[in-house]
Amino acid sequence: MKNTKDVRILSIAPSTRGFGYAVIEGNDKLVDWGVKSISGDKNNGSLTRIEKMMAFYEPKFMVLQDVKDSRRAPRIRELIEQIAVLARNRKVRVVLLSRKQIQQVFFHEGRGTKYALAELLAEWFPEELGDHLPPKRKPWMSEDYRMDIFEAVALGVAVRL
Amino acid sequence: MAQLPNYLRSNRKRAALSQDEAAFLLGSHGGAKVCRYERFTCEPSLSTALAFEVMYQKPVRELFAGLYQRVERDVAARAKTLIYKTDRAKPNRRTARKRQLLASIINSESNISHEP
Repeated sequence: MKNTKDVRILSIAPSTRGFGYAVIEGNDKLVDWGVKSISGDKNNGSLTRIEKMMAFYEPKFMVLQDVKDSRRAPRIRELIEQIAVLARNRKVRVVLLSRKQIQQVFFHEGRGTKYALAELLAEWFPEELGDHLPPKRKPWMSEDYRMDIFEAVALGVAVRL
Repeated sequence: MAQLPNYLRSNRKRAALSQDEAAFLLGSHGGAKVCRYERFTCEPSLSTALAFEVMYQKPVRELFAGLYQRVERDVAARAKTLIYKTDRAKPNRRTARKRQLLASIINSESNISHEP
C-alpha cells in the first residue's frame, strides 16, 4: 500500500493480557512501541487506552488483524471490531491484515513462525526491539507478553511493504 | 505529514532509559517533568532542550521536530512581511543582503513544507 509511506500508522495487536501497540511514521521510523496490560473489563479498558493513543498520535491509518478466518477468542474478535468502529468514527482509515498476508510479506515461502518474524523485526529495529525479544519458548511455556509488541510492529511494517 | 511536537519518548526508549533516569541526567528530581515533556503538556527551557540533545545525541531540531516546524513556519511568515517592507526601502548593499537572507528563510520553509 503505497499511500501509507508518508503518514503515521497506529497498529494494535490485542491479546489475553491487553494489547501490543506500535506507532510507525515516515520511512519505517518506529515512534512508539510497547504493551499495555489491562485489568478488569479488558475490552472497555483497552478501548479507553486506544482512544487516548489515537488522540495523542493522531494517526492516519489504524492497522489491525483480520480475524475473519482465524481462531481468535470471541472477546478479541469483538474488541477488534470495536477498535475499527472507534477508528472510523475518528476518521482514521482502518486496514485489516490477516496472518497469511503478514507472513507473505515477511517470508519468501509465505510461511514462518511467529518467533521467526519476531527475530526478523528485532534485526530490523535492533535499538528499539532488540531488548524485547523473549527467549524461544518451550512447548510447556505460555507465550511471552512481549510477543504482542512484535505482532503490532509486524502489522505496521507489513502495511507499508 | 505533520510531525509530532517532539520525539523525546522514542529517543528515551531507544536509549533504554527510564523517565527517572532521564530526569536525573537533566538534573530534575523525578520523572514527572520528563513525562510532561513527552506528553507535550509543557515545553522545556533552552538549557533543558540542549541537555536532551546531549543525552540523546541528536540535534534539537530533530528531537523537537514538530515544534521546529511550527517555529520555522512562523518565522517564514514574518520574513514575508519583512521582505515586503524591505522591497519598499531604498535599495543598497545592506537591503540586498537582507533580502537574500529573508528569501532563503522563505525558500527553506517552503521546501520543507512541500517535501513528501
